[in-house]
Amino acid sequence: MLRRLLTASLVIVGMLGLLGPSQAADPVKIGFSISKTGLFAPAGPSQLNAYLVWQKMVNDKGGLDIGGKGRRKVEFVQYDDKSDPAQAVKIYEKLITSDKVDLVMAPWGTQHHFAIAPVVERHKFPLIGNTAASVALRKVKPGYLWFTTPMMPDNLAKEMTAMLKSRGVKSVAIMYNLLQFASENIQFLKPALAKAGIKVVFEAKYPPDIKDMTGMLTKVKGKNPDAVLVHSYPGDSILYMNQAREVGINAKTQYVMVGPAIGFFRGMFKSNLDGIVTMAAWTPGLKNTTGSKEFYNAYKKMFKGHEPDYLDSVEVFVSAQILEQAIAKAGLDREKIRQAVNSMTFDTIYGKIKFNGVQNSITPAGFAQIQKGKIEVVWPKQRATSSVVDKGAWAK
Amino acid sequence: MNNSLRLIGTAAVIVILASLSGLASEYMLGIGFTLFMYIALAQSWIILSGMTGYISLGHVVFFGSGAYVFVLLWGLVPVWLGVAISGLVVGIGALMIGYPVLRVRGPYFVILSFGLAELVKNLVLINEARMYMSLRPVFGAPPLAQLYIAMLVLAVVATALTYWIRRSRFGAGLRSIREDEWAAETIGVPASRLKLIAFALSGLIPAMVGAIFIMRSGIFQPGDAFNPIVSFTIVTMAIIGGSDDAAGPLLGVAFLVILQELLWANWPEIYMIILGVLLIGFVLFAPGGILGWCSKNLSRSKKNAA
Repeated sequence: MLRRLLTASLVIVGMLGLLGPSQAADPVKIGFSISKTGLFAPAGPSQLNAYLVWQKMVNDKGGLDIGGKGRRKVEFVQYDDKSDPAQAVKIYEKLITSDKVDLVMAPWGTQHHFAIAPVVERHKFPLIGNTAASVALRKVKPGYLWFTTPMMPDNLAKEMTAMLKSRGVKSVAIMYNLLQFASENIQFLKPALAKAGIKVVFEAKYPPDIKDMTGMLTKVKGKNPDAVLVHSYPGDSILYMNQAREVGINAKTQYVMVGPAIGFFRGMFKSNLDGIVTMAAWTPGLKNTTGSKEFYNAYKKMFKGHEPDYLDSVEVFVSAQILEQAIAKAGLDREKIRQAVNSMTFDTIYGKIKFNGVQNSITPAGFAQIQKGKIEVVWPKQRATSSVVDKGAWAK
Repeated sequence: MNNSLRLIGTAAVIVILASLSGLASEYMLGIGFTLFMYIALAQSWIILSGMTGYISLGHVVFFGSGAYVFVLLWGLVPVWLGVAISGLVVGIGALMIGYPVLRVRGPYFVILSFGLAELVKNLVLINEARMYMSLRPVFGAPPLAQLYIAMLVLAVVATALTYWIRRSRFGAGLRSIREDEWAAETIGVPASRLKLIAFALSGLIPAMVGAIFIMRSGIFQPGDAFNPIVSFTIVTMAIIGGSDDAAGPLLGVAFLVILQELLWANWPEIYMIILGVLLIGFVLFAPGGILGWCSKNLSRSKKNAA
């Protein structure tokens, strides 16, 4: 028995030895976790690709400007978090305490941001968040974490109601995924609609792994609402696009929350995507922005003609631009970077950004619409590159 | 090895592990936390499934329910009281639900246990969505060093419990149920009562583990808290350890947790593939687990030497 245990523990101790830290090198080491597998895997590339494009653009310039004292190239250290917040926590602890990275960048989604908030706080690592949106984020103590997103559910509800009103919509059907961001939107949307006198004639929620929504859609068709608002994620957005066409949902305003801004949707649905409104606030031609064209072209070049995700990739790139500009001012001292992020105004592909507490206080929540195969920003009006048009009939 | 020596050795190991909380890097503490967590879970699983042969493929139901009770209490009661209440509530719940559930045997119990976990997950999901709360952040949790110690305590308690039950009259009764439940009842083993107690005991500790885990992951989400992967991992660890005694899970968990850490840290792109191949290898070439393999091969080499 003793010998057996001894052998086994020797093996285990030997394995532990391999877990030691790796060495530091000359480039600036930036670490992050990516959801390569698991529930959020479909969203992973939108984020990772934007990081890679930014890295290439920076390194092609000779590297990051370190507080005006020369340039250093960017090297990434990345791990798959399996879409598991607990794994993300472990990864950031490893990045900071064992891999000894200089800085960290954000993982995907609200839940992972919440999970790693205590880690970056404890180690005083500034982190510019992206792809996270929830009113609960405002409960995060201002410190080392900031959120770039303009897509806060309460602001979205306000803008959505204003847009519907401007289109003379009197009745809507609402469908939503049970996941956090979608249900949070409904929480704010319903009172806003009621206040504006817009009637909700149908409402249904569904599980994240839904396989069929024809039943729901048939009922929606029966109610014949002016607008259909689907608060969906990429997987169920595909389902809606297919089945709404089959059932023949003919509302002039159809909102599909997450998905239509991702490049492959346009290849997949072609002209049927025309007229669909989605959550996005960017397009390469957006005025008063910094680097939009360069980002768009670099992305297309790097990924063989594929377009960036106008929602997630854009927000990820924005967070990288903020970090880059903060480093250019403050160098690599993390405390100075924190002060820079709190006080500076940044020039990004979203336009100017300044933080108020943990939140982006400038960029407004907004919507885009696919028009003739291109994504145009249609709301709010002061940012719009085009105005909202009716969704035409489905092509068979 | 005599008993008091063994006891002193065990105590020394526990003291060393506890003192690491102030010394080791955060990354190492994180690995220790996961290690203890799965030791506590696998030992609890052994109490029910290893000893009675009622294979549970839904042990995450206790873990997730404990986490849910805890997160509902978050901010209302002191942290460690909340952990204890979570354990108690889930233990009592297990007593109530165990009676109907344990009337089902063999493969039917396996399916039922899995279904039960999915059912509770969806109930929690729907309940949370009704309040527009599919994600609950847990802000201001105790530091990792404290969670590490708490998890170590649970692992030690779970291991001691399994060790003690295995050698008790109660444990003998449980194993008689595994070998032949009818025969056991015939000679006067109160099978239903024993099973029920084992079921509740095997739920108590996982519930507290779930509560502590939520403080580490920082958020509660039904999909993560009731993730079936946790159930599968527990069973895999117990199989790899290969025993209905406390030593089996210890080896199985240590092997799998450290292997996983090694693989994702060094080969993040392909570690799932390597892990899969290793698991298949185990089932094919060492069906008795680490303990079984060691006792077979090491005793043979001893014989050859002699």
